[in-house]
Amino acid sequence: MAGGFWTRFLAAPGLWLLCLFALPLTLTLAMSFGYVDEFGRAAYDSPFAPGALDNYADAFDPIYLPSLVRSVTYALGTTALCLAIGYPIAYYIARFGGRRKYLLIGLLVLPFFVNYLVRTYAWVALLSDEGLVNNALIDLGVTSQGIQMINTPWAVIGGLTYGYLVFMILPVFAALERMDPAVIEAGKDLYGNKLQTFLHVTLPQTRQGILAGSVLVFLPSVGDFVSATLLGGPNTFMVGNLIQDQFFAANNWPFGAALTVIMMIFLTIWMIGYLRAAAREARPAL
Amino acid sequence: MSGGAATAQVPPKVTARARRRRGAPKSFDRPRFLRVFAALVYLFLFAPILIVVLFSFNSQKSLTVMDGLSLQWYEAFLSDPVLRESLFASLQIATVTMVIGTILGTMLAIGLVRSRARWSPGLNILMLIPLVTPEIVAGISALLIFWQLGVKLSIFTVMLAHITFSISYVAIVVRGRLATMGSEAEEAAMDLGATRLGSVRLVLLPGLWPAIVAAGLLVFALSFDDFVLSFFTTGDDVQPLPVRVWSAIRFGVSPTINATGTLMMVVSLTTIALAVMLPRLFGRRESAIKVLTGQEGG
Repeated sequence: MAGGFWTRFLAAPGLWLLCLFALPLTLTLAMSFGYVDEFGRAAYDSPFAPGALDNYADAFDPIYLPSLVRSVTYALGTTALCLAIGYPIAYYIARFGGRRKYLLIGLLVLPFFVNYLVRTYAWVALLSDEGLVNNALIDLGVTSQGIQMINTPWAVIGGLTYGYLVFMILPVFAALERMDPAVIEAGKDLYGNKLQTFLHVTLPQTRQGILAGSVLVFLPSVGDFVSATLLGGPNTFMVGNLIQDQFFAANNWPFGAALTVIMMIFLTIWMIGYLRAAAREARPAL
Repeated sequence: MSGGAATAQVPPKVTARARRRRGAPKSFDRPRFLRVFAALVYLFLFAPILIVVLFSFNSQKSLTVMDGLSLQWYEAFLSDPVLRESLFASLQIATVTMVIGTILGTMLAIGLVRSRARWSPGLNILMLIPLVTPEIVAGISALLIFWQLGVKLSIFTVMLAHITFSISYVAIVVRGRLATMGSEAEEAAMDLGATRLGSVRLVLLPGLWPAIVAAGLLVFALSFDDFVLSFFTTGDDVQPLPVRVWSAIRFGVSPTINATGTLMMVVSLTTIALAVMLPRLFGRRESAIKVLTGQEGG
């Protein structure tokens, strides 16, 4: 009886998520089995009809496959880079930030509330062939013609890292905060040197945060198309570019939907892997 | 707990400071190396943004040479009716998203924590999925449902798409705070003659208020800045500001983009500043980060 009262709170938001999130996702799945009719319009088809899986087969065509592979490698590179940058800084603030700890974290989070497009655009101005960095390098005599930085995979990965770094910093920081600093002292008391103490005490205790951060960076990186469009070129296009093209240029919605479903399946497998790894850790998930 | 008497007796913060004073070179466990690294990370994060702001005041069209200050790019922004219209559209979308998203998200949080309905755990998962779904997937799915239902794309469809993800954000933040509050005060209110709804209004909501306000403002900022969802769900006539910025960037770099970007920064950073400060005005001294991440109750 008491439960009934509280259940009424769920009706409106539950219905909303069902109609405007779950149902649309199902539509995308349905569309992925469809085809483009003779008028160029998208049409649904039964998943059991002959040729219903053609869109999926097309995705693994040598024309499109490199984009899919690139998405995964760029996202993995981004995750690794975010960890390499995010862990030390979170560690520094958590352990040595003192009373200014939250101010320092706040300052790290601040840039992420600046529009992602504007931030990526700033990197275009910095890295382009006649950009600020190349001008400075030429003025300093490091190089005579400048270095090609934009339109390279590194620029795209760098842009993604800049875009999603905060998703690594926050969970790692939270994990370090949960850790009792006394255990580091204990590690040293047990004659561990600094590296050993870090590897055997700090790192295992923050594994939960690293896992959460890696997933939070990886998921949006795979689907991103902004960084590859602005900082890369056709040679660095990712699955997001491909999908966006199907909807706005090629007008092949069923194929775009199939690519979306493939990406979702891949990310779901990734998510399940994360959840199982997180469950193995004794401590509750973030 | 063993070890030297000095380390065993002083609290950890002091030991950290004492260790720093002693100073040991070439170690990643001590701040000296990390401090330089930290400074570089802050530089990496802030330099590009500062450059955008700086060049928005440039008196010439160059994006590499700074040559005196001027406000001409802001004038260019304000005198462009299309950009002005987009700014108002984005503000409208963010406001509606904030109001509806916060109401629905708060209801969802309360329901998920208190309801014992059998399908409540399922709804919990449905609430979490939007947070881990790449935006492009949500954008395409929204586009497909509007197309299927024959709804003409406009700023109204953008609002619907934004509210969907906002519900999840708000629910997470509010639930974090709710989890730290017991139901004793509400029961006491009901013992004193309040109705159930009365106890929600008089006891539960005031307790949740800091989290609700912070979450609402967060959602405003996210909606105002959102590009991908807007890109897939907007119509042709009036487009949200980030979609306009996207087309402008693709046409080529222009100082007006710097001015537009700076103005957008002012809007979102003001919102975030409010999200940090307003909860404090409710007479609680607590960190906004903790409210937003649901780490701590009042």
